[in-house]
Amino acid sequence: MKLLSAQNITYSINGNKLFHNLSFEINAGEGLHIKGGNGSGKSTLLRIIMGITSPSKGLIETYDQDLNISYLGHKNAIKNYLSPLENLKLLFNDAELKIALKWLGRFGLLDVQDELTASLSFGQQKKLALIRVFTKSSELIVLDEPLVGLDKTTAELFSSFLVQKLSDGVGLILTSHIDPMINCKVLNLEGKNAETS
Amino acid sequence: MLRLVKAESFKLSKKLKSWLGPLLIMVLVLIAFPLSIDISQFDLDKFYFSIIVVSLLMTSFVATEGMFEEDFEDGSLEQEFLIEKDFYKLVLSKIFVYVCLIGIPIAFIGALFSFANGVAIDSFAKVFLLLSISNLLLFNLFAFGNALSINKGAMLGVLSSLPLALPVIILLGTAVRSIQFGDGFAAIVALMIGVGLVMSAIMPLIISAALKTHID
Repeated sequence: MKLLSAQNITYSINGNKLFHNLSFEINAGEGLHIKGGNGSGKSTLLRIIMGITSPSKGLIETYDQDLNISYLGHKNAIKNYLSPLENLKLLFNDAELKIALKWLGRFGLLDVQDELTASLSFGQQKKLALIRVFTKSSELIVLDEPLVGLDKTTAELFSSFLVQKLSDGVGLILTSHIDPMINCKVLNLEGKNAETS
Repeated sequence: MLRLVKAESFKLSKKLKSWLGPLLIMVLVLIAFPLSIDISQFDLDKFYFSIIVVSLLMTSFVATEGMFEEDFEDGSLEQEFLIEKDFYKLVLSKIFVYVCLIGIPIAFIGALFSFANGVAIDSFAKVFLLLSISNLLLFNLFAFGNALSINKGAMLGVLSSLPLALPVIILLGTAVRSIQFGDGFAAIVALMIGVGLVMSAIMPLIISAALKTHID
């Protein structure tokens, strides 16, 4: 089942083309790894895919108008003045909160659940942000450099979670400089000639 | 919508500076201003309304500073966009919560101080109602200013929207005179409620568009 297709996406900033005529499709249970150097437009492409940023040319077509997307970008979208537990309560209903608390335990954050999030390390804050993706049921997961700041154990846990989600039929689009250890299509934005392999 | 109202009220209640600050400023101005002038020269029960209007303007101004900035900075706006596809409900919820948690207490403090400074007790409810509606109008206006310059320091945008507050102040002044002279209060309040309802419906649309432009 097709989830989303991009047709001839071009994005220009200050007259310079960041990428040109990109076309690809994402089906259910399929992953797309967007690669490229710094400033090649990976994050911008993700934002275009989600409809946050408008492309200069081209079209993003979702096959379900209410496509449910889980997203984690460079910003964690967590509140520093709240505790991790309060952050989770803010995000989830009672049923989801039970799942989120399990992940809090698996990530080793139970000991700090009542401390201020501002006092947590970068990695711990990243884990907290990841719980949003792990808990919410969605048809498409979009991740921007999700492995940055994670220790090896968490990175492996994260990769196995993604593999499980792919086998469950969830679509995945991610950018990462670190190998996510999952089988997926690759879109390379390096240089001007982007290509999918 | 209920989810957003719950979330926004929880967040605001946890930010002591954001809700307590404006209330303290209101109290301080209302206490300090009369002490700093020679009371014998003025008829304070009449003059006091002017102090309340100035305090109201200042506190609304301070209360709405940073209304959207935090959500913009930490990426919450992007997450909200993915859920709702626009920010209308978020803006509506924020303004509602700010009016309930900051605006209405400010109106109560204003009404209480006006009574303490010689305004007749039977005017208490009128002053409270008037200040509550004024807060609704001012919070809508300053939220718009805040959204306009969210990535350039929210205060700049709030300042730029200050001229839009002039009609509200003129209306408030007219309503105050109607309380003092006991004539035409209902008509002015009805007008202010009407403007408040229209503004509460339209302003979130404009603010939502401004926020979308900023995250684009």
